[in-house]
Amino acid sequence: MTNLHPVSFSLNGQPVEIEIPAHTLLIDLIRDRFGLKGTKRSCDMEVCGACTMLLDGDPISSCTTLAVDVDGKEITTIEGVTPPNGLSRIQNAFVLHGGLQCGFCTPGFIMAVTALLKANPHPTDEEIRHYLHGNLCRCTGYIKIFEAVKSLAAEQVSEDAALPVARQRNFRLETS
Amino acid sequence: MSSVRPDLIEKVTGRAEYITDLTVPDMLHGFVVRSPAVHARIASIDTSAARSMDGVVDVLIGEDVASFGCWGVVLKDRPIIAIDRVRYVGEPVAIVIAETIEIAENAAERVDVGYEELPRAATIQKAMADGAPLIHEHHENLQDFYFKGGAKPTQGSNIFHTYRNNVGDVDAAEAAAAYVHEDHFTFPAISHFAMEPHAVIADFKGDSLTVWAGAQTPTAVQKVLSRLFGLQLAKVRVIVPFVGGGFGGKASVKIEPLVAGASWKVQRPVRVAQSISDSMLTCRRLGAEVTIRTAVDAKGRILAKSAKLLLDGGAYSDTGSAVATKSANRIIGPYAVPNLRLEASAIYTNTVPGAAFRSIGGPQAVWAKESHMDNVAAAIGMDPAEFRLKNLAARGERTRPDLRALDMDMSELMGRVTQSFASESQASNRRSRGMAVAATDPANTPIANAIVRLKIDGSILVSVSSIEVGQGAHATMARIAAQTLKQPFSAVSTLRTDTAVAPYDWGTGASRSTVVVGLSVENAALDAADQILDMVVDVWELPKESLSLVEGGVSTGSEVLTFHQIFHRTLGVDSGEVVGRGAITPRSKKGALAESPLFWETSAGLAEIVVDEDTGEIHVPRYASAADVGRVIDRVAAEGQDEGAAAMGFGHALYEQLEFEDGQPVNATPIDYTIPRISDVPPVFDTILVENGDGPGPGGAKGMGEGAILPVAPAIANALFSAYGIRITDLPMTPEKVWRALQKRK
Ligand code: FES
Ligand code: FES
Repeated sequence: MTNLHPVSFSLNGQPVEIEIPAHTLLIDLIRDRFGLKGTKRSCDMEVCGACTMLLDGDPISSCTTLAVDVDGKEITTIEGVTPPNGLSRIQNAFVLHGGLQCGFCTPGFIMAVTALLKANPHPTDEEIRHYLHGNLCRCTGYIKIFEAVKSLAAEQVSEDAALPVARQRNFRLETS
Repeated sequence: MSSVRPDLIEKVTGRAEYITDLTVPDMLHGFVVRSPAVHARIASIDTSAARSMDGVVDVLIGEDVASFGCWGVVLKDRPIIAIDRVRYVGEPVAIVIAETIEIAENAAERVDVGYEELPRAATIQKAMADGAPLIHEHHENLQDFYFKGGAKPTQGSNIFHTYRNNVGDVDAAEAAAAYVHEDHFTFPAISHFAMEPHAVIADFKGDSLTVWAGAQTPTAVQKVLSRLFGLQLAKVRVIVPFVGGGFGGKASVKIEPLVAGASWKVQRPVRVAQSISDSMLTCRRLGAEVTIRTAVDAKGRILAKSAKLLLDGGAYSDTGSAVATKSANRIIGPYAVPNLRLEASAIYTNTVPGAAFRSIGGPQAVWAKESHMDNVAAAIGMDPAEFRLKNLAARGERTRPDLRALDMDMSELMGRVTQSFASESQASNRRSRGMAVAATDPANTPIANAIVRLKIDGSILVSVSSIEVGQGAHATMARIAAQTLKQPFSAVSTLRTDTAVAPYDWGTGASRSTVVVGLSVENAALDAADQILDMVVDVWELPKESLSLVEGGVSTGSEVLTFHQIFHRTLGVDSGEVVGRGAITPRSKKGALAESPLFWETSAGLAEIVVDEDTGEIHVPRYASAADVGRVIDRVAAEGQDEGAAAMGFGHALYEQLEFEDGQPVNATPIDYTIPRISDVPPVFDTILVENGDGPGPGGAKGMGEGAILPVAPAIANALFSAYGIRITDLPMTPEKVWRALQKRK
């Protein structure tokens, strides 16, 4: 039988404790043991950023992080940045600007942008491109992702308040 | 009507469910053992060590399922899993089925397979050489199985399809021409690289089978599984949750028979979740060798064009025959050419099977034809834009007698991309510009069904087989139903794709959903409207002409009857719904949809490039893309389609190539294979959508989403040619190739 190791950490603000084999990857712990499936696995090789979580506020690839290494730390996932009702302002910007299509890369982008704006609320164009270099998207061509982040970089906000879904009605769609 | 796509809310919050987010009770996990051999006889398979491991339930190998025979969608050439022979590196030879993925993966290492190498044919040249080893001994065509028509294989060879189309007399035209120019181009295999790799759950229970798959064509999966396992169509259920990117790589049928075979063996649900590396060994775009020749008169008018395209179809044909046929059609372009000689063949090689990929055959053909156009223009001393304009087919003119007349003006698109650059009238001396255009004929089979149900509370359910792969199809269908029934968009839900509830449709691809499925939804909504109005006519005894649908009910002219009132009074109980049905067939609209293509998918691209002469690296600071889309239904989604397609085009142009060395994949991992990143797309990017409201779809829409990939590579190559006089003839245009070409020129 595999040896189990105790780990305790904060998961989206809640203290958790669990015993796991030493080789358990963070993504599997979060998806399979805690049932939080918003984080996506794509390349599984730390190339694409789809599995991005925040470790003490910094983005990491959960597909190559050992779960035992997060002992005593804070882990934030897409579920942790989604308000109970409505969307975060980052999520809202992605929807408004069309910064997603199939959505498979999206939780990873949302996490990366969350970390970016926390560290640097008004990044320049170059800083945005540089920071998101590790997140791959095969659908959008990045143009609308970039526009979404740029719109956030230009905003003056003090609080990361949840926006009611009604706010998205401003979204302009042309219909015939 | 303005409203948010519900799928975007689900995705941005991480709540959207893809295959790997689903769990089916009692589900086992399969891990695929793949062939390391390019072409080999399987001499032995020993699974005993794997089987004896704790948690391993069973191991599926070829001989277990050999009696089911082969499957295919055009040619019946593919076993469920390799039986006695492997034909490419990556071909599945066994599946270990275990309680957890981890156990399955560990046990897979203990499956012992003995291979005896066979002579190989890993390139087009080798596969076509005299005495080449045959990758398939004979060819069985399935006529009208997936597409209308079938393949024309050459028995006793590796050529599994040849398409020819001749118009006029090319030889006579060339003899009379002032100038004849011939070029040769090559195009590599390219990986789809959808961020979600292929994943399937199959659940075989006696004579019924349920499959959860990210399938773009669920009814094709249903049909193949039904035939293969001898099940009634009605007993095969295909459920498609959100799909994390397809681009053709999840069209037709991929790993579904393999996973179904595993579930058949253990009679329990089995999930196979591939890695991206596995998916890179599952399918890829067909590489091509293209020879193209153009004859012009003294005034620069094209008199004749001939093209010969050889497509590398890999070890199994999939839809490679259609890719070849389309490449021959797509090499004509939006030009009026009186004499044509077109020939395209698809060839088996011992490499990863070729498959449909965004604009099948399009990038291969357009890369050659648009690079060639600039070469011809240069040779006769004419400006390339002028040369194109002189030879464009006008709106209403046919580019070939058997294809629908052009439904757009290419000069308009060329004008729009040029205008987009007008703010800087000339490229600075460090920068140069190149243009390319494309007109392609989507294979948008006009067969679709839809059901629209209007419920007593005014809520509406739409069910279609179209899948939601990010393009917004489900929201588009909801929007069409809402508009037709004059109800708010928020009242309409589109059901997740499930063949058990959705009626038959051909599939999601070839830019067809908005038009073909959209029209069937419109018809279904009209049918539902008719039924509700008939209730009012019947019960209130009012003339139908006086009635009209309004939000929440029916206006009689003097009052508004709510749906609630109408159902309640008509049915006597406080419940009910009407079920509207809509169908599109080749006979719909008096046969107007039958002529191919249903609409033209067209695009123009203008690229500005800067070359680092020391390294050969090409930068594209600016790009403009224009497409004629008929009518925009959702602007953000429509622009996103073209931007995504163009970005993929940058990948094709500058970095992407799935490489093989004598059949061995060299870079089939996400680490070694490069797709564009956010810093690789041009900082100035103009997405132009031309709307003339003249498409066959709802509101005058045409399909879109494939066209913008086409002009990118030749536009960049033409910019390079105009600035430096160097012509790159094989993609991708890597720094090394460009640098070498620059050196050679000096
Ligand atoms: S899945 Fe972890 S970086 Fe790609
Ligand atoms: S939206 Fe599909 S990969 Fe980014």
